[in-house]
Amino acid sequence: MKIVHILLNIVVIYIFYWTGVKLQQILNLFIPGSVIGMIFCFLFLHFNIIKPSWVEAGARLLISYMPLLFIPVTAGIINYLGFFAGKGMVLIAIIVISTVLVMISSGHIVQYIMHRKETNND
Amino acid sequence: MTDLLIGLASIVATITIFGLASMIYKKYPISILLPILTSVLTIVSLLLLLQIPYETYMIGGKWLDHLLGPAVVALAYPLYKQWQLLRAYMLPIMMGVFMGSIIGVSSGIALTNWLSFTEEILYSIASKSVTTPVSMEVTTTIGGVPSLAAIFVIIAGITGATLGKVIFSKSKLTNKIATGVGMGTASHAIGTARIMRDGELEGAVSSVAMTISAIIVATFTPFLVQVLL
Repeated sequence: MKIVHILLNIVVIYIFYWTGVKLQQILNLFIPGSVIGMIFCFLFLHFNIIKPSWVEAGARLLISYMPLLFIPVTAGIINYLGFFAGKGMVLIAIIVISTVLVMISSGHIVQYIMHRKETNND
Repeated sequence: MTDLLIGLASIVATITIFGLASMIYKKYPISILLPILTSVLTIVSLLLLLQIPYETYMIGGKWLDHLLGPAVVALAYPLYKQWQLLRAYMLPIMMGVFMGSIIGVSSGIALTNWLSFTEEILYSIASKSVTTPVSMEVTTTIGGVPSLAAIFVIIAGITGATLGKVIFSKSKLTNKIATGVGMGTASHAIGTARIMRDGELEGAVSSVAMTISAIIVATFTPFLVQVLL
């Protein structure tokens, strides 16, 4: 019974995904269909058009296995091993540096503003 | 028939390897043993060793791939659950994501330019902090190589997923909203999948951050490329 429930949840999620993909194609939007689907699913939940129980169990399952789902695409790096063996190695370093910069800067901006807000309120 | 068998074999292999990798990580929770990293390395090594083309592996791999889109949609649920808190902190979240996105694109362009890589590579690296489809689209628009862009996106994602925790503690980022923004802005869905395990709040913030960041990067990258070169 629980499996049926989860499968039905995933069907609902899939409908949002499919709608998002179709909208993206029809309107030629630059946001991916999955993100459009996510926004729609959120709005439907937020405005009580669908019940949380319609997606909850399925969503939890999909999210907890998300890293697994990334493995096949990521293994695609195999076709670029030659590229990254040479000068491409430097590109990996660039990406790591830039990514760390983004994490630290954006995080600290948030922490700074929130901290200031809290001290102002005191 | 053979395709079905090959497909099933690669799915079973992927799940088994991921299961083992997760068990190892549970026992030794250190960054370099993150399941996605060790699983990918194992699969790549196996494919090379057994001389199986990536395309053959993907006969089954694409089934897992197909669930990625719905998994992104599923992020709507934690978003819905955490909405009250997210709304209260919308301003700092927006500011952080905006600045972070711009810094991500600019630093990628500047470093690649400084080390005199070709323009093609530079255009492909510019949008590396956002989710694959958006990055490939942006890359195509400005004249880069989309398949290369997809790989750069993955490297940015793995970087955040593996180093995130260390970076946050070393740079004294303790606030959950701040770490969520940092992760989502820098490492899109791969980072979000990782930080969701630490807590629903930071996971929800990370989902919001990766969505807003995708929009900002798609809008500003063509402009930044012009200004910085």
